[in-house]
Amino acid sequence: MSDETESNRPAATAGPTDETEQTVNTSTGRVGPAFDHRTTVIARTVVRVVVPVVVVTALALLFQGHNRPGGGFIGAVLTATAAVLVYVIFGLEYLQSHLLGIDSSPNEPHAPTGWYRWLFAGGLALAAGSGMFPLLAGLPFLTQGVAFVHGLPIYGELEVASALAFDLGVYGTVVGGLLTVVAEVGEE
Amino acid sequence: MIEIVLAVVFLPFVGAALAPAVYRLLGERTAYYAAGVAAVCLALVTRLYTAGVGLDGGTRYAVDWVPALEVSLALYVDGLALLIAFLASGVGVLVLVYSGGYMHGEPGQSKYYATMLAFMGSMLGVALAGDLFALFTFWELTSLSSFLLIGHYTSADDSQYAARKSMLITVAGGLFMLAGFLLLAWAGGTTLIAGGDDSLVATAGPTIETLRSVGLFVPALLLVGVGAATKSAQVPFHVWLPNAMEAPTPVSAFLHSATMVKAGVYLIGRFRPFFLGAEGGGAHGGGAAGSRGSGAAAGTGGEGAAGEAAGEAAAAAASLLPEWSVVFVTLGLATMTVAAVLAVAATDIKELLAYSTASHLGLITAGFGAANALGAETGAFHILNHASFKAALFLVAGIVAHEAGTRRIENLRGLRHDLPVTAVIAALASLSMAGIPPFNGFYSKELLFEATYELGHELGGTAWLFPVVAVVGSVFTFLYSIKFLSLFLGDRPDGLGHVHRPPVSMLAPPAVLGIVVLAVSAVPNTAIDLLVGSVYDSTVPGAAHGFSIPFPPSKLKPAVIMSAITIGVGAVAWPQYDRLHHGIRRVLAGPVRANWWYDNGVDGLTSGGRDVGEWVQTGLVRTYAAWTIGATSLLALGGYVVGEVGLPALSVPPGMTPAIVLVLLVAVVGAVAVTAAPSHVAGVLTLSILGFMVAIFYILADAPDLALTQLVVETLVLVLFLLVLNRLPAYYGQPSPGRALRDGALATLAGATVFLTVVLSTSATPSEPLSGVLVERANLPPGEHASVFTNYGGGSNVVNVILVDLRAADTLGEISVVAMAALAVLTLIRMRTRGDTR
Repeated sequence: MSDETESNRPAATAGPTDETEQTVNTSTGRVGPAFDHRTTVIARTVVRVVVPVVVVTALALLFQGHNRPGGGFIGAVLTATAAVLVYVIFGLEYLQSHLLGIDSSPNEPHAPTGWYRWLFAGGLALAAGSGMFPLLAGLPFLTQGVAFVHGLPIYGELEVASALAFDLGVYGTVVGGLLTVVAEVGEE
Repeated sequence: MIEIVLAVVFLPFVGAALAPAVYRLLGERTAYYAAGVAAVCLALVTRLYTAGVGLDGGTRYAVDWVPALEVSLALYVDGLALLIAFLASGVGVLVLVYSGGYMHGEPGQSKYYATMLAFMGSMLGVALAGDLFALFTFWELTSLSSFLLIGHYTSADDSQYAARKSMLITVAGGLFMLAGFLLLAWAGGTTLIAGGDDSLVATAGPTIETLRSVGLFVPALLLVGVGAATKSAQVPFHVWLPNAMEAPTPVSAFLHSATMVKAGVYLIGRFRPFFLGAEGGGAHGGGAAGSRGSGAAAGTGGEGAAGEAAGEAAAAAASLLPEWSVVFVTLGLATMTVAAVLAVAATDIKELLAYSTASHLGLITAGFGAANALGAETGAFHILNHASFKAALFLVAGIVAHEAGTRRIENLRGLRHDLPVTAVIAALASLSMAGIPPFNGFYSKELLFEATYELGHELGGTAWLFPVVAVVGSVFTFLYSIKFLSLFLGDRPDGLGHVHRPPVSMLAPPAVLGIVVLAVSAVPNTAIDLLVGSVYDSTVPGAAHGFSIPFPPSKLKPAVIMSAITIGVGAVAWPQYDRLHHGIRRVLAGPVRANWWYDNGVDGLTSGGRDVGEWVQTGLVRTYAAWTIGATSLLALGGYVVGEVGLPALSVPPGMTPAIVLVLLVAVVGAVAVTAAPSHVAGVLTLSILGFMVAIFYILADAPDLALTQLVVETLVLVLFLLVLNRLPAYYGQPSPGRALRDGALATLAGATVFLTVVLSTSATPSEPLSGVLVERANLPPGEHASVFTNYGGGSNVVNVILVDLRAADTLGEISVVAMAALAVLTLIRMRTRGDTR
């Protein structure tokens, strides 16, 4: 909830479009990351601390989903929220070029979306493709299996569910889709 | 034999597909390749003929086409089919050879030959179709190829107009015909047209009874009739044919005189035995008693026939006459006369021939319309005669236009000096067209005179108009035929420039047709014995036999007197031709012309369509949203009303704690506060109160997965909302009371629908809850277990096991939706500046 109020304020007071444009204009003479100057130091510091935690939480939710609350969808939305946090506080440019390392040159302004597009396409392909494997064994489409691996150093016995591949597909699709929407809408 | 029949139909299509490649190799000599394909088809048809297939009663061949719908590609060979197939392939060979000369240096030749071959295949398909759907398919293919050929000069406005006109009229007519076919297929329980014991023609009696019992006999007849009339350019649908002359002349000779326009009369001939089948008297004709008996049956069964005829006297006649005759004799004779009059008014040689074609098709229609043996003889014989002399005349017109450089009648005279061979062919063909003995056109016209006289004699009263109209139409036919001939007579006018000699490839085809005219004229009864007799057989119900023409007539029959009157009046009127010509042209203005109706109709539809489109597609999302939400709500509510769903008793569910009540109350307060929010941002923030309260409710109700999802989604949506809201205007202005009322009503409706749906769907809990099964299946079975499972989910979080395992297909569908939504956003936002914007 505290993330909420942090993120609302700047967006509520001023348009993100103006911010990004301004960022691009002023950043030319500056060294270092370009970010919005109207966000407070507190907000920026909190986000720096919180975002890694959010991402780790998201991954934890993704992997523990089979046996405890969580799952691919929740993990994906949380990951996207982390990205949106960075975007709201530091701007789209920072998120894409500094955090994700995707350069959007002037003649290729939509390079990041290209990556997101691959992400959701790949996720969909993974989810559908993982459902194809059972067909080889003569089982119905999307049959999931569970196998047990014994004698691992820390875990001892580990349950490996094929549903994890499917869940990863869901994760990829949702993260890719949401980031696409955020990037496209945000760029407006 | 089935291989041959299939090859006849499909070989031209294969040839058409190869034509572009052949054009690259051969260039303009592709004409001879195409003629070769046509010649192979002609040889195959001849092979069928010499094998005697279909000459004594038809033979049907069938290949499964859409087995699931019991539609087969049935092909049917009988006399009529063979005649049309001979025309399509035979005239095809001649016209394609002729094209080799005519199309020299013209643009778009590869397309031209491909389309010509495709047309020939479609026409052969029409001729040999034994199934309603096959017939319809090939029928529309002929319209399509005709469209392409008429629009051959794609950049010319006239050409585009003509192509669109023919397409609109013939395809629209084809759709009427399809509706008629559906009625026939429904009533007959079969889509096979003829042959065997199970076809429409064989079961005509019971099928017609079924149709009559529901009052659909006359509609079915009229629907099929509209199809035939549009294709065969019958009044008032004749308007497309003169415009179709924008096509290159070989196309006019092939499609618009010899073959495609014959599809309409072919259809009439094909369904004649069916529609006259129940009458019983039509087969041997002549017998007045037979026709009267059938007329009485028609009178009791079809009240619709009375509506068809104009005036009480005509209604009285109709009660004595099968509806078939009322429709087609009237149609045919009207077309014959009107088109002949219009041909006299023509100023262009191709226009003259076009109207003359419509007129002669009217003659054939009238012949098939007459419910006696003579009528069928007229139709059968005139199909052959007309194709022979009219195709020849078109090819002659092509030579004249090509070599003299003009098609205007007033500029052309004395062409025999420059084109002697052409003049001989033209003389033969136009005398035959005029119906002068002993040429073949005379014989079939005699048969029509006899048939109409017979009708007048049988029925009396207004039916005597039939022979009178036939004579009037023939007088005009005589006049324009002589006019065409006169192009070659007299002295050369000064204005006419140098006229070239045509190449052999252009001269030989009309010469061959001229020889056919001569041959049929010399030995008409041989032609009848060879083929026309069995054509006649296929157009009469029941068993039939051939016929013969007595020539010279042994006694002075009424028909002979009618012919004498025709020629006499024609000869007297000939000196007044110019006055007639100008007189008719003066009358033709405004609503008298069928064209006026067509043009205004099309313009009206175009602007009307645009207006309706603009009215429906406002481009305002709120309009679409209002209609969508309103329609969805009303349909859902309507469904509940129709399904007579009872409201369940509302009660406080178990497990309501004070904490839950408090959270829900806060949610309600949040919802109310949204309506009072001073700005969009405040509204969205207040709305999120509602969302977070719902999340807390999930936590309190022991649904951690739902709560997590709700929390994260709510957060994300809030941020996205705020990003978008920035783009919206802060203030919309005060809505008018009417609009506020409307929006309020719509919102109430939507809210009520959702509420009802939730209440109804949650109350419909199955007696044995599903959750037990799912919980059991989700986790691994207790106790010792093997190391690999595929029949258990293997997870202790049942929600997620359902999502990724037990109902994984649902999830796959949902993430596909997510991907689609992302794609949609990508497309709508990124690409909205591309393309047309209003």
